[in-house]
Amino acid sequence: MKNSIKVERAKKDMTQQDLAEKVQVSRQTINSIEAGKYVPSTVLALKIARIFGVAMENLFELEEGD
Amino acid sequence: MKKNSLLEVPLLHPGWKKLAYVFFPLPVFIVIGMAFLNPKTDPNEATQIIYGFWALAFMILNLSREQVEDEMIRNFRQQAFQTGFFWLLWGLGALMLINYLRFDRITSELFTAYLVLFLLNAYIYVAFQYQKYIANKEEN
Repeated sequence: MKNSIKVERAKKDMTQQDLAEKVQVSRQTINSIEAGKYVPSTVLALKIARIFGVAMENLFELEEGD
Repeated sequence: MKKNSLLEVPLLHPGWKKLAYVFFPLPVFIVIGMAFLNPKTDPNEATQIIYGFWALAFMILNLSREQVEDEMIRNFRQQAFQTGFFWLLWGLGALMLINYLRFDRITSELFTAYLVLFLLNAYIYVAFQYQKYIANKEEN
């Protein structure tokens, strides 16, 4: 699953640590999500989308094979 | 989302990890001490003491909280327990096969509860640490 968290973070001038603190996870978790190594739960995905003020489907995109 | 309290596993404070690290060298000293006090000590007994302590050590490490216990870590832990059981099955199968090829029998005094608990907890620990390593390497 692809995601545009890094882009949204850059728009808001936010570090991984800032985002991690806002959604109450570790920075490593945010890093893993951005790198596509970890797919977040629906709850966490919704929390991240809410921080950026975008719809979840605009933040996460299914890839072929998902 | 509400969790079923019956299935909830309370994790130990991270401070317990220090005790686990003590449990790794401790049985070696106990066994050496036993050998000095009673030179006729059964070597199998010494092995079981070591397995027992190491099983406890890995058990404590597996059931201790991480600094940040978020959903990714919980996910890794669940996967580690599943993978640990899977590796245990294959590991024990391999040991039984080796035993059969060497001694013409599947069972052995080697297969004790202490050994199985040690192997299971060691596999779970390795599976957990491996996932954390994969998640942390090649940081963005």
